[in-house]
Amino acid sequence: MQPFTLKYALPRGISAAVTPYHFDPARQLNMLPNGRPAVSDPDLLLAVGTTTSTAGSATHFDD
Amino acid sequence: MTVLILTSEEDVTADMVVSKLHGTGTPVLRLDPADLPGKAVLSADYAHGDFDGHLSVNGHVLSMGGLRSIWVRRPGEPAAHAADPSPWLTAETRQALYGMLHSAAARWMNHPRSADQARLKPWQLRVAHLSGFAVPPTVFTTAPRLAREFVEEHRDVVVKSASGPPPGDPALALPTTLIGPDADFSAVAAGPALLQRYVPKRADIRLTCVGPRLFAARKTAEPGQVDGRYGDTGQGWEPVPVPERIGKSVHEYVTLAGLAYAAFDFAEDEDGIWWFLECNQGGQFGFVELETGQPISETVALWLAQWRSDRNPVRLR
Repeated sequence: MQPFTLKYALPRGISAAVTPYHFDPARQLNMLPNGRPAVSDPDLLLAVGTTTSTAGSATHFDD
Repeated sequence: MTVLILTSEEDVTADMVVSKLHGTGTPVLRLDPADLPGKAVLSADYAHGDFDGHLSVNGHVLSMGGLRSIWVRRPGEPAAHAADPSPWLTAETRQALYGMLHSAAARWMNHPRSADQARLKPWQLRVAHLSGFAVPPTVFTTAPRLAREFVEEHRDVVVKSASGPPPGDPALALPTTLIGPDADFSAVAAGPALLQRYVPKRADIRLTCVGPRLFAARKTAEPGQVDGRYGDTGQGWEPVPVPERIGKSVHEYVTLAGLAYAAFDFAEDEDGIWWFLECNQGGQFGFVELETGQPISETVALWLAQWRSDRNPVRLR
C-alpha cells in the first residue's frame, strides 16, 4: 500500500536550466564567462533559481 | 587560521560567503567530501600521543592545527565521486574525514551531532513549544483512526513530509497540501503521516539566525495559498523587524538545539501572529539576501572568521 503522504506527491518536472557559470578551483568560486564571479550578478542568480529554498539536492531536504 | 567549507562546487550560496572571506583576507579551503578520495587528499596522524592532519584539494592545503572553523553547508556524500564508489567506501571515507575533523579544535556551523537532531521535524515542534512559539496542532501517526479524528477536529488540515520527497526517478515534489475529511486514511498505516492544522496566512516569514544576529523577511501570501515554496505569487521578499517576543524564542530555540545557524519558517496569520512551521538547520539564505539586501553572507563569514573554539582540543597526554 502506498503511504498516505505519497498520495500527494507531484511530478517535479525536469529543469532545463543550465547554470551560466563554472567552478574555478583556484579562486574556489563560480565564475561567469566574462571572468567575473557569479555572485557579482545578483539578478542572474535570482533568475537561475539556484539559491532558492527548493534548490536543494535529494540529499538536502532541510532548505 | 583557515575556514573549511564543506559543500559542492556548484553551490553559489557558499560563493557569497567565500567572496566575503576573500575580501577580509581570511584563508578558506572549500571541499566537497564527494571528491574524497580522488581530487581531494587526506592524511591524519595519531602517533606519539599527539594528533595532526592535513587536507588538500585543487592546490589548497589545510593543516588541522590551522583550522579555525567548519561550515557544513551542502556537502556531498563522502566518496560519491570516486572511481569505484560503494557504500563501504563512503563509510570508510566518512570515518577518515569526519573523525579527523572532530579531532581538531574548531567551531562548527552546525555541529553534525546537533544538525542530525535538529533535522527531526517532530522534535522541532517540541523544542518550539519549549521556546515559547505558537505551534499549530500537529499529529504524526501511523493510526488511520487517529488521523481521521484529527482532521474531523481541526477541519482544515495539511499533510507534509518530514524528510522531503523520495529520491528516485521520476523526480517528485511533496508540497504541503490541504486534505479534506473525505480522504482515505487507511494508507496512514503504510507510513507515518504528519498532519497539521492549516494556518490561513497573510504572509510567509523566513527568519535567518546567524549566531546572535537575526534577519527576518516577509512575503505576502495569496489568498488560500498553502505552500509558498511552489508557484509564483508575484510577491517578493521584504525585510521586516523581528518582534521582541519572537527574538527571545529564537534565541531560546537555537540554544536548546545547539545551533549556530538556523532558518525558521513561520506563517503570519490575519492577527499578525507568527506560527512556527519548521526550523531548517541548513536552510538556504541566498534568495533572501539577494531580494532583501540583508547582509546574511557577511554575518556568516564574520562568525566563521572569529577565533573561538567550541571546546578544548582533544589532548591525548
